[in-house]
Amino acid sequence: MKKIKDFINNADIRKFRFWLQIFFFVLFVYGGYFAVNLGNKIPMFSCGFDREAGGMCYFLPLQHQLARPLDVLFSVASISVLIGFLTFLLWFIVFNKAWCGYACPLGTMQDWITGLRKRLGIRYSTYTQPQFNKLKKIKYIMLALVILAPVGVGLGLLGGEWRTAFCEICPGRMITPLFVGDVSQWSLDFSTKSAMVLTTLGLMVTGLFFVGSFIKKRFFCFFCPMSAMHYIFSDAALIKLKKDGDKCTKCGDCYNVCDMQIKDIADDVESTNILRDDCILCMKCVAACPEDDALHVDILNMKVFTSTKGGFSKRMEMDKLEEKDD
Amino acid sequence: MTKDVKKSKIETPKERQNRHKAMEAAMVLDKIKHDFKEPPKAMNYFYDLYENVHCKQQALHNDKVKVGTMCIQVPSEIIYALDAVPVRLCNGFYTDDDIGSDLLPAKSCPLVKATVGQFSSYNFTDKPDVIISPTTCDQKAKSGAIIEDMGYSVFDMEFPRTKESEESREYWRRSVRKFTKELSSDLNKKLTKKKLKEAIKKVGYAQHLYHKLNILRKNSHLPILGTDMFLVTNAFFFDKIDNWIEATTQLLKETEQRVKDEVNAAGKRSPRIVYTGSPPIFPNLKIPLLIEQSDAVIVADETCSSNRMFNDMVSVDEWFMYDMVDSVADRYLKGCTCPIFTKNEDRKRRIVDLVREYNAEGVVYQAFAGCQVYEMEQRSVLEAMEKEGIPILYIETDYSPSHLGQLTTRIEAFVESLKNRRRKK
Repeated sequence: MKKIKDFINNADIRKFRFWLQIFFFVLFVYGGYFAVNLGNKIPMFSCGFDREAGGMCYFLPLQHQLARPLDVLFSVASISVLIGFLTFLLWFIVFNKAWCGYACPLGTMQDWITGLRKRLGIRYSTYTQPQFNKLKKIKYIMLALVILAPVGVGLGLLGGEWRTAFCEICPGRMITPLFVGDVSQWSLDFSTKSAMVLTTLGLMVTGLFFVGSFIKKRFFCFFCPMSAMHYIFSDAALIKLKKDGDKCTKCGDCYNVCDMQIKDIADDVESTNILRDDCILCMKCVAACPEDDALHVDILNMKVFTSTKGGFSKRMEMDKLEEKDD
Repeated sequence: MTKDVKKSKIETPKERQNRHKAMEAAMVLDKIKHDFKEPPKAMNYFYDLYENVHCKQQALHNDKVKVGTMCIQVPSEIIYALDAVPVRLCNGFYTDDDIGSDLLPAKSCPLVKATVGQFSSYNFTDKPDVIISPTTCDQKAKSGAIIEDMGYSVFDMEFPRTKESEESREYWRRSVRKFTKELSSDLNKKLTKKKLKEAIKKVGYAQHLYHKLNILRKNSHLPILGTDMFLVTNAFFFDKIDNWIEATTQLLKETEQRVKDEVNAAGKRSPRIVYTGSPPIFPNLKIPLLIEQSDAVIVADETCSSNRMFNDMVSVDEWFMYDMVDSVADRYLKGCTCPIFTKNEDRKRRIVDLVREYNAEGVVYQAFAGCQVYEMEQRSVLEAMEKEGIPILYIETDYSPSHLGQLTTRIEAFVESLKNRRRKK
């Protein structure tokens, strides 16, 4: 048992994550080819506009369901909405935000773009703390759009093209289908004024997605409404990111490697549950923590991956001297 | 004939200073070597090192550019990457303290007085080519200017006095970037990505070794004495890093064997102590020696001459130049528990954690008389320990060999009280 634990705690999490991401990418983007269908309540951006999706983002059906006329929405017929929501919750509760860090195709794509940037030898940029604090609110506005726009359609306040307003501006709609050779989403919809505005916005956001994630690690995740939605229910999840503040020296190693620039991970020594709304549960912080058991990932209060001095040195390649070639 | 004249010549001040320092060093080494049970054999490297440098005045780094550092916050990774050697100049000699007393106010910290005293004597075994003075405590910051007036080349490295805010972090990162640029142009060496990465990994490896050794002190059979550990960590101030790594590897091997054989460096039931406060720097190991001579053992410490120097390690996400420089900068600010910072929650948490992790029964807090920040923090640390039910002894002392009797009595009484406390439990 101790051997297994040591093996996990010393593991090179980057490699593990890289391959797992590829696996999930194939599963969710190309799943259709293998007759995989995990339903349409998946708590991440596995886009439903991809014909071959092996499982579909929950937001597309959610928006459609919410766009029903109000009297239908609050009738027995909407039990299906409730069941849909519970299914979503079940999926989410198992993996918590690890959906973002390990499975989300849009997240994986951003990591690939980051990899490309690294290859080119270009350094990433970061937000300053005040910028961070302002920008992080955007994802809640997005979440409001996901919920309120279809409700507005149901109430008859908005035109039908607002039904899936968020999807229109989500970069996943344009990018994900490309992987199965579908370029049909790359067009502007001139049918109505607001459709035109929305699709134009979508095109711009897609452009931003590419440029942004080239410059900034996990650029889009910062604005993702799914991430906001996760956070509301994350306390109920089985996997948890925990911190033992007594053991933390606030050295900031975890903050340094955090793609999402979450400062609490280093500075908060009071909370035991250290998962924040921006977190993608990639576990890089745990891997970069040099204190024994200061940060750990728990499943049902059992430590499955925990920070260790030995693991840190191994991953940073500080556990042995480099052979000099001269 | 001429030889005889030389022999009968009156000793120069420099010779006298060297003789006094050699005596101080020899006396402490003698106590460490002979007053205790047999130390690990690998410790001989360190005993010899101190003897060579401090008794025989042997230079270690003739072939390299030496960068003198006045405090723990100067990033040694960057200095190594520029093909220079960092030599930490914080000084523990009473002889130099005595010289410095003429130059600084009477109530100054003995460490600062000794450091300034040595500069004023221009007497170094490894004379630093440039001196980096981080603006940490008032006394150190001001002595940078005093030393500059003596004709040394001094670079003031700006250091923030708070560390929680994002501003302070950004400020310190800029400060380190500036230091890197200026040192690089000063030494006429270009900093390369490869060199810096190598240096980070080498210092990281040294830290890794220290941690592995240090963790062995958690054992109920303590394999190595605290005074010996202070010698090991103090040696990192000035030793060649490759030699240090080799010697520590040997020591680690031997100490691991001692743990297996359940060898006790001291008595089986000696009370276990965490040491905190003003840094013991060779040969001023007065308090650690007194503690261990009074049948207690130091199992861990929270001082800038030892644990704090090694504890926090650099983590880098992408090995680009300025990512590395920034990561290095963070290590010297964020985890630092120096009392010059406005708040000291981190230091208190750290001491409590050490007491728990290392199974200690009490804490000894030394403040140098004149070290205002450690003196000022005393009350809050005492309160925090009281809250946790950890006995603590506060000692105010300097480098002078007087008051030894009184200090012995106080420490012996504290150790005795710890033993009594155990009996009652």
